[in-house]
Amino acid sequence: MIPSDHFPRFYNEVFKFLATQGREALEQYWLEISKNQERHTLELFQTKGLAGMHEYWSHIRDEENCDMDLDLHDDRLELRMNVCPSLSKVLDNDAAPMQHYCDHCAGWIGPIMDKTGYHLVYDAIDRTKPQCIVRIFKDRAKAEAAEKHTALLMDWPGKPQR
Amino acid sequence: MPETKTPMRYQEQGNVHLDFHGATNTTIDYIIAHYGTAVMNDIFARVGRDVYADLRQHLLDGDRAEIAHHWQHFFERENADFSIEITPDEIVLTVRHCTAYHHVLKLTGAVSPHFCDQTIKTNEAMAAGTPFAIDTEITAPGACRQIIRRRT
Repeated sequence: MIPSDHFPRFYNEVFKFLATQGREALEQYWLEISKNQERHTLELFQTKGLAGMHEYWSHIRDEENCDMDLDLHDDRLELRMNVCPSLSKVLDNDAAPMQHYCDHCAGWIGPIMDKTGYHLVYDAIDRTKPQCIVRIFKDRAKAEAAEKHTALLMDWPGKPQR
Repeated sequence: MPETKTPMRYQEQGNVHLDFHGATNTTIDYIIAHYGTAVMNDIFARVGRDVYADLRQHLLDGDRAEIAHHWQHFFERENADFSIEITPDEIVLTVRHCTAYHHVLKLTGAVSPHFCDQTIKTNEAMAAGTPFAIDTEITAPGACRQIIRRRT
């Protein structure tokens, strides 16, 4: 068994292989993971909206031991990852990190937000630091405005043009 | 459990997120469907050789106990039903209820036929070129024996 604690280091090895096949290979895999994650998220997000997303990431914050601030506002959910346990493990690793490890996160969350009609603004800030800011808006115009104030804006497969 | 001189290279604490096993199961099926079993096995071998380089180094140095510590720590964290028997000739990990397997079964209703390859292939890669072999015997769905023996 690869312990669940070590999944990010396994994931990192999968990404390194897929990167040799090209960006599209990575994106197709993230879509598969996104479908897998729908099992845990889609109904919750569709029925409870931002409150459901707050519920899901509160659970993740606890189970994955995240140092994360999570704030539910009327118009958005805002997640500030102060220390991401996933990238931290990939960096604290005897195997080399995949340079674009952070990209997978928007790669699976983005397609779910597109399905539920919400607008994701994913600022990875710096791929070498285990920090990011995720904002999810009800209103597209607010998402577009927020995108202008990001340091490293992430894309995902099928991301709508804004 | 025998004492070791240094802390384990990886020894996570805190909560566990068992749903990662579901993502592992999805990944195994996806990689095999799109790229074949040999590629999946090569990725597992990289995990065994590179991610677990420290465990492999212990085996290269003739120390078989570090893997037993690793097993004890992580199977305990996942609340598996298991035991470890240490004799002069071998170390045997007996897993009667694998948390990973049964969690995936609960999540999806079907576990990849290649799910246990993560154990078999990473064990093989960790031991490759060392004085020890690690053999994995699947004894039932979600149950196995993993045996460390000095190569003859």
